Amino acid sequence: MKFTRRFILPALAALMLGHGAAMAAEAKKLKVGITLHPYYSFVTHIVGDRAEVVPLIDADANPHGYAPQPADMIRMRSMDVLVVNGIGHDSWVFEILEAAGMKGKIKLIYANDGVSLIPVAGDSGGAKVVNPHTFISTTAAIQQVYTIARKLGEIDPANAAYYRDNARRYALQIRQLIPAFNAKIAGADLTRFRCATMHSGYDYLLQELGLQVTAVIEPRHGVEPTARQLADTVGRIKAANVNVLFAEKYYASKLSDTIQDATGVKMYSISHISSGPYTQDKFVEEMRENLDTLAAAIHEAAKGS
Amino acid sequence: MLVLAALAVVGVLALYVQRYGGERQPRALYDWQISAFEDLSGADQAVYNALYTSQEEIPYIYDVINRFNEPGELFRWPSLQDLQETLLPPFYHDRSWEQNGSLQWTLHEPLGKGEMQGSVMYLGTGGKLPGQGSFLLVIGHVHAGITNNNALVIWWNPKNEVSMPGSGFQDQLILQGWREVVPYSGDQEVKRLYGDEFEDADQESGEN
Repeated sequence: MKFTRRFILPALAALMLGHGAAMAAEAKKLKVGITLHPYYSFVTHIVGDRAEVVPLIDADANPHGYAPQPADMIRMRSMDVLVVNGIGHDSWVFEILEAAGMKGKIKLIYANDGVSLIPVAGDSGGAKVVNPHTFISTTAAIQQVYTIARKLGEIDPANAAYYRDNARRYALQIRQLIPAFNAKIAGADLTRFRCATMHSGYDYLLQELGLQVTAVIEPRHGVEPTARQLADTVGRIKAANVNVLFAEKYYASKLSDTIQDATGVKMYSISHISSGPYTQDKFVEEMRENLDTLAAAIHEAAKGS
Repeated sequence: MLVLAALAVVGVLALYVQRYGGERQPRALYDWQISAFEDLSGADQAVYNALYTSQEEIPYIYDVINRFNEPGELFRWPSLQDLQETLLPPFYHDRSWEQNGSLQWTLHEPLGKGEMQGSVMYLGTGGKLPGQGSFLLVIGHVHAGITNNNALVIWWNPKNEVSMPGSGFQDQLILQGWREVVPYSGDQEVKRLYGDEFEDADQESGEN
């Protein structure tokens, strides 16, 4: 039978619907822990109603420089599996593992195992530094969804096909974010868009969109620049005619106001997807908001303001 | 007492630096390999990372489009039109594709010509950005009895304009100036940060 091209996308989704539905697992549901908000969205989409998803830390806790709490250890002891970033954005999880006596007793899924990492953009001099913000993206997020689904399937083989099909359906949903964004910037003059970012959190997203980062303000994530570094960065922003500054939505910093005042750039807030209630649709919703913000910044820059 | 305290502080700092502050050691590569992390520019890195994830999806799309084949009907790998339909970067044409160089993709598809095995190749070339290279995704499609094995490898060529290679054999590609691109992946970074201290699910299940 010929597979009509026009129907491939819906067919991909349709073939996944119901696949594995008849294989309802009767065994005890896995309790899957997660460390960061995007992983809550990823895992709840993958496991559906066949596993329980448990955030390790409170919803409003700041995962940057997080100090482990006794409640985290209690939650961890109830988990069968724990999904972690593992490359620098949730290093506190290893302290909790040891403190809770769960080291070696809980199965860890490193979401970034299969992700091709990129360096921090605008890193001035020295060796390239790994950027751990793989979850603020679409391509690297999809790669993580596939990795998590595959590893959950290895741990819970009865539901492996169900997890895989859910992962593919969710990947299609994530995949549609970028074309929707590009439709919003159709016709916009991108040559006038020159941006700086407060930290390196948005590098994966900006790179896949083909947008260059001229300068990153923080020398390391969460580390404010020295007066000298700040003066150098302000100089670079002015010299490169940067007109847009992306700052963090959840963790406002006076530093971004200082940069804005010193350079005249227009500031926009982008979500790190790392605070607020844990919800299944948080990742897609906040990524869509981020992309809407980017589109607005591009249109504003194109006006020459 | 003061000396002991100072030694303790130095020891703790050394352990901290060992774990969190140690420099990433570039992976040892053969001279016919390059690192996506170290050696590719922003746009080429974006193209590579999209291709890298497409390796998960192209075999799946292959399964979907051949699922309802009738006896005698030739299997085929996803055409470029199929990849457009599925919005799959770096093949999908939109502003992001333009911003990352507008690589022109072509497909070498032996299965569609009735050959049962051989290298399926997606070639991306003619990028519009200064210094941009060309990419080749090679899928070594090999049948063994009723199963098949699809080994996917990504190659990069510093030349901006290249033609489709005659074959996907490694030695031929190397002689033509192609270099295999290897990622710096999350598992390597975890290993750098923690060694074998915190095993992942794969390693644990492997022991069972």
